Amino acid sequence: MKFNKYIYILMAGVMGITSCKKEFLDEKPPTAVPVADAIKTENDMSDAVNGMYASMRTSNTFGRDIPALGDILSDNVYVSSSNSGRYLQENNYSYINNNAEAADIFNQSYYTILQANRIINTSIASSSAVGQYKGEAYIVRALNYLQLVNFFATPYTVNPAAPGVALVTGYTGPNIKPSRNTVTEVYAKIISDLDSAYAIMPATSTHGNSSYYLSKYAAKAIEARAYLYKGDYAGARDAALLVVQGGGYTQATATGLSAYWANNVGSTNKVETIFEMALNTATNNGTNGLDYEYDQPVGYGDFLATTDLYNQYRATDARRAFITAGVRKGNGLPALIVSKYPNVSQSDRDDIKIIRYSEVLLTLAEGYARSADEVNALKYLNQFVAQRDPSLVYASTGTQLINDILNERRKEFAFEGLRFFDLTRTNQVINRPQMANSAPSYPTVSLTDFRRILPIPQAEMDANPNMKQNPGY
Amino acid sequence: MKKNLLILLFLSMLALTNAFAQGKKVSGKVLSADDGLPLPGVSVKIQGTQKGVLTDGDGGYSLSLTSGQVVTFSYIGFVSQSVTFNGNTIAVIKLKADSKALAEVVVTDGYTTQSKKSYAGSTVTVKGAENENKPFSTPLGALQGEVAGLNISSSSGQPGANVQVRLRGVGSIGADSNPLYVIDGMIINAGDLSRNSTTSNVLAGINENDIETIQVLKDAAATSVYGSRGSNGVIVITTKKGKAGKTVVRVDAEAGASSNLKVPESGRPVTGDEYRNLIIQGMTNAGKTQADINTYLANGFNGASNNWYDLVTKNGTQQQYNVSINGGNENTRIFSSAGYFKQEATTIGSNLTRFTGLLNIDHNISKRISLNAGINFSNVNQNTPSNGGAFANPILAAYFLRPFQLAYNADGTLNTSRSGNTNFGSVFNPLYTAANDVKNLSQTRILTNATLKWNIWDQLRYTGYGSIDYDVLEEHQFWNPIMGDGFSTGGRGYDYYTRYFNWLTRHQLDYRYNVPGIEDFYVNATVGYEAQRSQQYYINASGTGYPLTQPLLTSLANSSTPTAASSAFSNYTFDSFYSLLSANYKNKYAITGSFRRDGSSRFGTNNRFGNFWSVGGVWNVDEENFFKQQNALSSLKLRGSIGTTGNASLSVSSNPNYLARPTAGYGNNYNGGTGQNFNTIGNPDLTWESQTKFDVGADFGFFKDRLGFVVDYYRNTINQLIQQVPIARETGFTVINENVGSMLNKGLEFAVKGVPIKSKDFTWSTNFNISFNHNKVTELANHLPYVASAGPSSNSNIYVKEGYDIQTWYTRLYAGVDPANGNALWYTDGTKTATTTSYAAAARVQYKQADPKYFGGFNNTFNVYGVTLSADFYYNFGNYIQDAWASYLTDGVYYGTYGKYASNLRAWTTPGQVTDVPKYIAGGTNGGQSASFSSRFLYKGDFIRLKNLVVGYDFKNFDVVKKLGISKLYLYGRGTNLWTKTYDKNLPFDPEVGFTGQSNLEVPQIRTFTIGLNVGL
Repeated sequence: MKFNKYIYILMAGVMGITSCKKEFLDEKPPTAVPVADAIKTENDMSDAVNGMYASMRTSNTFGRDIPALGDILSDNVYVSSSNSGRYLQENNYSYINNNAEAADIFNQSYYTILQANRIINTSIASSSAVGQYKGEAYIVRALNYLQLVNFFATPYTVNPAAPGVALVTGYTGPNIKPSRNTVTEVYAKIISDLDSAYAIMPATSTHGNSSYYLSKYAAKAIEARAYLYKGDYAGARDAALLVVQGGGYTQATATGLSAYWANNVGSTNKVETIFEMALNTATNNGTNGLDYEYDQPVGYGDFLATTDLYNQYRATDARRAFITAGVRKGNGLPALIVSKYPNVSQSDRDDIKIIRYSEVLLTLAEGYARSADEVNALKYLNQFVAQRDPSLVYASTGTQLINDILNERRKEFAFEGLRFFDLTRTNQVINRPQMANSAPSYPTVSLTDFRRILPIPQAEMDANPNMKQNPGY
Repeated sequence: MKKNLLILLFLSMLALTNAFAQGKKVSGKVLSADDGLPLPGVSVKIQGTQKGVLTDGDGGYSLSLTSGQVVTFSYIGFVSQSVTFNGNTIAVIKLKADSKALAEVVVTDGYTTQSKKSYAGSTVTVKGAENENKPFSTPLGALQGEVAGLNISSSSGQPGANVQVRLRGVGSIGADSNPLYVIDGMIINAGDLSRNSTTSNVLAGINENDIETIQVLKDAAATSVYGSRGSNGVIVITTKKGKAGKTVVRVDAEAGASSNLKVPESGRPVTGDEYRNLIIQGMTNAGKTQADINTYLANGFNGASNNWYDLVTKNGTQQQYNVSINGGNENTRIFSSAGYFKQEATTIGSNLTRFTGLLNIDHNISKRISLNAGINFSNVNQNTPSNGGAFANPILAAYFLRPFQLAYNADGTLNTSRSGNTNFGSVFNPLYTAANDVKNLSQTRILTNATLKWNIWDQLRYTGYGSIDYDVLEEHQFWNPIMGDGFSTGGRGYDYYTRYFNWLTRHQLDYRYNVPGIEDFYVNATVGYEAQRSQQYYINASGTGYPLTQPLLTSLANSSTPTAASSAFSNYTFDSFYSLLSANYKNKYAITGSFRRDGSSRFGTNNRFGNFWSVGGVWNVDEENFFKQQNALSSLKLRGSIGTTGNASLSVSSNPNYLARPTAGYGNNYNGGTGQNFNTIGNPDLTWESQTKFDVGADFGFFKDRLGFVVDYYRNTINQLIQQVPIARETGFTVINENVGSMLNKGLEFAVKGVPIKSKDFTWSTNFNISFNHNKVTELANHLPYVASAGPSSNSNIYVKEGYDIQTWYTRLYAGVDPANGNALWYTDGTKTATTTSYAAAARVQYKQADPKYFGGFNNTFNVYGVTLSADFYYNFGNYIQDAWASYLTDGVYYGTYGKYASNLRAWTTPGQVTDVPKYIAGGTNGGQSASFSSRFLYKGDFIRLKNLVVGYDFKNFDVVKKLGISKLYLYGRGTNLWTKTYDKNLPFDPEVGFTGQSNLEVPQIRTFTIGLNVGL
């Protein structure tokens, strides 16, 4: 038939088009790259480091929940009876396995660790910058594991063989079901990561001396904290000493303290801040910021200082200025209002201090005190306190000296979330002051109280059969 | 490989063909006299012989004839015609329908046009003429209740609101459940494409008067040809095409007013006196002294009694004007129209204005090649007030503001003060924000298509098709600096620009093979290739700080501080091969089959392609000899089909087009530096949800088909549901999207259409349909039930559990009020054996469902001496709906803070009193939890609504009208939503709340009264 020739040509044409190009179905996303190709250059790695910090900054971890819980669960801060509904379970020690903050901290920390692992495990040509970036990732991983193991596991000082958290050091797909490593193993990894960071990070950072980025001496400063939480006081002392001797940091002075805390643009002068999270105009946590919890009348102002904390400061103490006797917005009752975070009404909000030189000095003092060198302990304690309450000079010894150091830590780091961990690592009963205008509050947390450790999120328990829940939940 | 096999099959069929030439080969066409559309499947027979053929999809046929032979054209439902062959040609045959009742003669599914008689699928055709001029802002508004199995519900009375459509039940958990929309062959981007507007709908750009037909494709035989996108059904809209003959000019005008539906008494906001009395009652019950009460009342209770509901609503206007021209000759035909539609809801600041234009041209380039080209233009301009809990929501204000709050200052200006109890500390003065804030959408859409048909030879045709769906959305929002959301930043503006460029091309070959030697036995085969790419591009910009007293300067260029600017894109592609095969023997038996292979960019590299198939069969019992032995039935068709479809619509995800890729995303910035995170876990195995559809149905008629029935039973199993499966958090992620789980929809549909009375001066035509759907979740990820915080219902009071309806409520059971003391009581558990006054002690149980058990509609049209009266009803039964805002508006919590429902006036006051509303205590009863969510706030969603009522008269037979050359002069009055019957006396609002089953303080539905005139020249 005469038409057949045309038909076959036509059909061949139609079918020719049919043999679709593979690229036609390969639509590339506008703001993302395949994860396998995401880090190929130094610049990519810098981007990944920024992303990692951005993850840490969220209100689920260091941006709010971690520092908030560190004070709420302790004796420094309580939630007002007039509140926005946040942290009520923590204030009353009534959290169970579906607690939102526990889940947020758990999930977001592992999300940050995922980002850190990606940087650590990427092989690109080594350089000073790559050493810096990988070092930052090691520190971030260590810091997140340090928070995880201290929130979700028995303190090392209580039982190093207790279940810690699962150590994951690389992404191997969605189907992993890891079980818990011991607390000992977790600490070993933390310290090894920090050692790695210290070893590979250049003395002169790609970021200059910006307080918004982790540095070689930040690794040692955080290692000092890790050793301290571990109860390895010699280790803490040695790490802290390295920072003091080689870091080049100075303390904020008593007269400069208020200006120091009001600063919302970071610093490069190595005064006080070793590392802080940048929360600026474009990237902050809005109404979910830590500053928003403390500030009133602009913020929620749910968090108020306990009288017990206020009473620790002498009238001459520069730090007392951060607590003002006032009236709680909403219920009109007298309250001690915290003003350490004064930038809520600014578009560039309060940064979050992660580690400061003062902590290193106090860790050094405690390290000496607990390794029987009270001379040096007093030296650094008094060096520290001279810049806070200039008329105060300590001359205590023995247990009193250690208590003085712990109390200075309480005063110095109030509202920065360290108090709870000082109480748990030293295995103390937590006597939580009962304030008249508090939301329901739990008074005494005994040494056997199971809520000294947060619950593993139920959703994790459901998804991971190898995970073991903490006792009591 | 499969592709090659099909080509082989196709070629072998070609090879079988032989020309049986004898006499003169004559080609012709058969059209419907009513609408000029081609009639496929018409029996064309040479009298006195056994020779004959059936017409093809375009009504075409070819026969070998000798001069003088008589050819008979016959078709069910039409008057047969016979023509004597003059030795040359046979003119176009136009068959007249012998009954209006069963006028569906063809099915146009977007790929082929088939004779309904031999079509195995379950479809419903709604003629555009039935819904012309109905004052609904989208064609779907009029479609509600007209098609069995098709449930249409809108949560909002906003003109142009998005309309949720469920065909044969909820089709998915993690993907979209709305059907696929096809307009003139184009698979469009449908739904709400806006990014900032409260609600919008692409289909608001379609003028009802431009629609020729809407076909609803339901079962596998009908939808499998749409492959990975056919699961939720397909709605095929065909616009009007030109018809040869005298040019017809039509002018339609309709104008009127919109007004409020009546608010049920239970949900009426209380008056000033009632509010004051509730305060006194509540404070007294709370043990306050008279002095306390006086002090409290002195703070603001000024005697004013503003009815905020009345203040935020008004009577709106409703108007539409349409002009169309239809005409041409056998070679070139055009249809052209222009339309204007304007609707104001009764809520302040809620309206829609639409311009539409349509031009369709058909042209025969040569005897064998024809071209159709169409362009459909629309601009929809909408203003949409906020909904839900937004302080700027006028409907929130209607309920939440207290009667003594002052809308106006003493000097008559609007009150913008924010401090003090009579002013606006939280919820804004809605009159000020409505007058000074802007939330506008301008959506311009150009939908063009061109079809080239080449009849290569009589049995083989090539169709080339291309279409572009170009859609631009400009959204502008402005918050004034004086009162409202813009106050704290000195005014705030947002601009959103969104553009969709969506193209589709199709190449198709249709082949018809008349099986040699067997009369009236033919096979149709179709193969085609289709490719589609949709590209979305968008820009966002915002700024703060606006001139304080220049209310007209709302453009972003006036802001002093830019706060955000960004742009990106989002694209998807589909690449498909499809084939159809059908065989028809004497119109008595027909079998159909389809196969489609789809590839989509949306899915994982491991599972990017999927295959979909269907088979169906038809037995036209009425063509059997034995059928003619009886007189009861006038027609009977049995049909059935089974097959598979997919659901590729991930639009419920925020990242629908790139979800399957494991990617590191940018935008995770830090300290001004660019940042990337591994933030999309992806899943290379992710693929479409698949659905196996089974359908059996019967179409039968009585009294020469003046009464026709359609009955269908279906059973659709949905597998590979896309669900968010929880994974170990140590991965860094919490969930991964996987294809797990299954769900079942089964149901029964029943439709009747009839003309019970037909006489010279009185005609009564009626139709009725009812649909029952039963949904059951059969498998979930890890078998774990969960509270639905996402998915088809983002309502946390819905519990998704295996063995239950997907929309099952999860609630504490309210046990009423303790007559002894007025406390609220709840049952401790589902056994209802014990009650408690502690809300916390009552267990949540599965209870009732949010989706209806049955629904449908009915219409009656009477024509008496030229006066027509037509009434459309819609009904919906078996669902329960939640008042999501009751905890603020009911009982004594927030006793002086927010407005209150009149239902509080039923509160318990004296021992022994039996009532459903607990004692009104300032601060609340039962620890303030009496008004927390329980079955107390689930109401029967049952209702029947008179959607549309028209009375009109055609003056065409008046001499004066005839002299003017007017062929139609129809004057009518119309009312919509005139009457609604509900079945729960405590229901505080209109029962149509959408498929979430939850009220959300949306713009209420409206009632319209209009007068219209249709003129035909």
